[in-house]
Amino acid sequence: MITVGTFVRALAMSACVAIAAHPAVGGAQAQDQLIQRAIDFENAGKWRDAVTAWRAVISAGQPGQGVLGLERVFSQLAQDDSVLVALDTLVRQRPTDRMLRGAQLRVLRAVARDQDARDAFNDWVRVQPHDPTPYREFAGQLLMDGRAALADTILQEATKSLGSTKELRIEVAQLRAGLGLWTEAAVAWREALANEGYLEQAAQYSLQPAPTDKRDSIRAILRVSPAPMPVRKTLGLLEMGWGQPREAWRAFATLAPADSAFDTWSDFASDAERATAWAPARDALAAMLAARPSGPVAVRAATAALNAGEPNAALAFIATGGTLLPAIAARAQLLPLELKALSQLGRARDVEARLAANAPQLDPAVVKSYARVVAWAWIRNGQIDKARVALTQATGDDEDEVTAWIALYDGDLVKARNGLRHPADVTPEVLNAMALLGRTKADSSRAIGAAFMALARNDSAQAAQRFEHAADEVVDAAPLLLALAARIHAARRGDALAIALWQRIVQHHATAPEAAESDLEWARALRRKGDAAGAVDRLEHLILTYPQSALVPQARRELDLARPGATV
Amino acid sequence: MTCRRSILHRLGVAVLLLGSATATVGAQHMLVPMDDIQANHLKAYGLAFTALKTGTKTEWFLNYRGGAFLLPEDPALRRKAALDGITVESMSDATLAGIRKEIAAGNMDAVALEKAPRIAIYSPPKSPPWDDAVTLALKYAGIEFTQIWDDEVLKSDLTKYDWIHLHHEDFTGQMNKLYLGFRDTPWFIEQRDRDLGTAQRNGLANVPAVKKAVAGKLRDFVEKGGFLFAMCGATDTIELAMGAQNVDIAGPYSDGTPMDADADAKMDWIHTFAFQNVHLEMSPGVNAMSDIDGHQVNVPARRQPLGQFTLFGFSAKFDPVATMLLQDHRKIIPDYYGVTTSFAKAVLKPGVTILATEEGAPWVKYIHGDYGKGSWTYLGGHDPEDPQHNIGAAPTDLALHPNSPGYRLILNNVLFPAAKKKPLKT
Repeated sequence: MITVGTFVRALAMSACVAIAAHPAVGGAQAQDQLIQRAIDFENAGKWRDAVTAWRAVISAGQPGQGVLGLERVFSQLAQDDSVLVALDTLVRQRPTDRMLRGAQLRVLRAVARDQDARDAFNDWVRVQPHDPTPYREFAGQLLMDGRAALADTILQEATKSLGSTKELRIEVAQLRAGLGLWTEAAVAWREALANEGYLEQAAQYSLQPAPTDKRDSIRAILRVSPAPMPVRKTLGLLEMGWGQPREAWRAFATLAPADSAFDTWSDFASDAERATAWAPARDALAAMLAARPSGPVAVRAATAALNAGEPNAALAFIATGGTLLPAIAARAQLLPLELKALSQLGRARDVEARLAANAPQLDPAVVKSYARVVAWAWIRNGQIDKARVALTQATGDDEDEVTAWIALYDGDLVKARNGLRHPADVTPEVLNAMALLGRTKADSSRAIGAAFMALARNDSAQAAQRFEHAADEVVDAAPLLLALAARIHAARRGDALAIALWQRIVQHHATAPEAAESDLEWARALRRKGDAAGAVDRLEHLILTYPQSALVPQARRELDLARPGATV
Repeated sequence: MTCRRSILHRLGVAVLLLGSATATVGAQHMLVPMDDIQANHLKAYGLAFTALKTGTKTEWFLNYRGGAFLLPEDPALRRKAALDGITVESMSDATLAGIRKEIAAGNMDAVALEKAPRIAIYSPPKSPPWDDAVTLALKYAGIEFTQIWDDEVLKSDLTKYDWIHLHHEDFTGQMNKLYLGFRDTPWFIEQRDRDLGTAQRNGLANVPAVKKAVAGKLRDFVEKGGFLFAMCGATDTIELAMGAQNVDIAGPYSDGTPMDADADAKMDWIHTFAFQNVHLEMSPGVNAMSDIDGHQVNVPARRQPLGQFTLFGFSAKFDPVATMLLQDHRKIIPDYYGVTTSFAKAVLKPGVTILATEEGAPWVKYIHGDYGKGSWTYLGGHDPEDPQHNIGAAPTDLALHPNSPGYRLILNNVLFPAAKKKPLKT
């Protein structure tokens, strides 16, 4: 937390550094020496000597520096109000000096002399009636104290005296946020950002604490077109802070590819990578690559695309990266990504060809380590025998999981069960396989193998059909297999086919764990096609038939939404 | 709780049945507990309302287990309870007899509910950018209502309703003094044009005149035996409108003329329900109507912080009305702002029943009284589950607050007109 004392200290120190960085001649040099002497006393903890030294700085014509020094030293001595004597004199001599006036208000507030602070503020306004500075200073200090109501009063007075609060946009924006008036705060920040673009981070800091249910109103205000770049950037920063990287990228993507935009994209990409938000990371890296082509960025973009499940996009980035990186770097950084992308696409022959082409430059052990990748490529290509052959080249334990998958595709459920006990990655596909292998007691099933094989080849239509077919063969896991088939149909927007399967589960496997889920999904599909009454029937059936199901609270919520309104 | 449990065990109460649509064998009654056992207090009111609507005999056990409802064993009601996640307990005649003895012995009473009240909510045809807690509560609980607005109030027979609710409307016709901050917003312009249209259609000079006429009709409704429930800004502004029938209390942007400089002195407090000797806010630039509201949320320099309010305890047998309005499973409730948040004690009329107050504060939260043959209740604040509600904020999702003690106060009011009138003992 930044206290008034540390704030003042930082202010004074930065002023001193500025002086030191711009050496002047004659008197200015003498002043610098006096300031340095005072700082030395301060650093040595010689407070009394420091007081004398800072007074000398004031006498030498640097009242601002001297007062800030005194304020700091007296604070150390727990005699904060002692600086007021000097301040009162100096303010009389220089009634429009912002630094002195600000210090006076700050000290009076720090020693809880609120009425005196108010009087000092009134006096400042009297001296500069048409200047927004006194209002800005006092309101800003009050906001720092968290005294939003009082700050509001000051700003209202500013409106009356100055005719508007145009000059106090930032304070108004901060005030509204401080009062929890989030919509109004967003409006005020938008206005402030339109005039002073460097305020993005201040706006983000101010609006970030908005509660979840107020964020949409903030978004709506900041999105109104045409939104200046600082506004869009602020929205992006807010979305990142709110844990919505995809929305954040939507805001950043509209920035023109100038230098500042590039830096914003770069920061965003790093944040998104750290948050494993791969799709927005890929988009940001792609924008960076288009603006300033670079090999390392191409590698990162390809990695992000692969992790986002988009091997084709990854290959495009790899191609770009290949033209930007030296051959050795490309082999080290791009080849592994390329092989993985090709493998995901089932382009087994291409994987083998690329591996063969680079093999002379690779360590034989490295070549062997790619056997698993080659095997997966053949699996996704639907050629299990070739995958098996590829695996014979593999070393270590890596093959266990791949072997288990091959066993599953062969219909050998025993071997698959053993090999998939501790999978390296818990993907949805792995979870489905593990759930099934845990559910059925069967030792083998060609139908199940064929269904998972179709899934591996990304042939979802075939996979759904085969899971349904497998339900007839593996009776103890029938509802699970039917539910898997239904999920695939629903994901392919085949609601009618999915509904038929959910109906089958509810009617013929009413006591299965999948029955409640089927009712819920069935209801959702009916709502999607506008059959509210049908959806209500399903949801009521779920609630009444499976009262202990964990899905009941969700079903009740959706029942409220599906029911027609109570208004008559 | 221990005591109650042991009693129930002694009496051999049949077991709870949350989420079960099957009645316990031998049960003749369903008790809907309203203490902490209840899974969904708000929907429980809807269950009682549904029972009344179908002519089912219903009883309200005041101060017994948080204000429990007694319903006859009925498959349709049990099904609704299961669907809505309402906790119900099956009960035999013998168990019920034991409960009645317990009620007779303590500060409790059993009130028969006769018929589903006919409810109207005074609300504009298009919702403005804020929501109405009563509409939210009724919709969530599944209680039917009719939406009425100025034309219906001025031209139709209000006696067809038992209960009318007012929420956010500014009956002084000044649109909550939002002119300064929102005059250019589309919703404000639309609202202003709509109200001017109403004035033209009804041959009235301006919007304040419309609202005064509406306030007068609503007062007649209460006088003839109706029940009026108001929250938020409707509470103090309807009082001001009723008291200002012969004086201009509206700012120049509403009717083209400034407020009567002597408006305070010209107010007629004889024809108001709750307040007297109120001082009007004379400045059109200050977002307050008068000194009725203790919190003055829209005037930063006057705004008071939120505390918590305490529900009074009344004798169920001697003050059944007040007791009904206060049935709750919590006695201390966190306060929440509204255009009008609370009511200054200094301006309450003698005879007003104070239902809830904040200890040590110069204001009260919840008040009730009779007028003519009817009665009225005012509850300060806008939304019990959104203490800082702002214009444009998303409406409260009551599915996230099924046990809201603040919303229970609203729903008590809805069922109150259903109570069978019996001679008061005081």
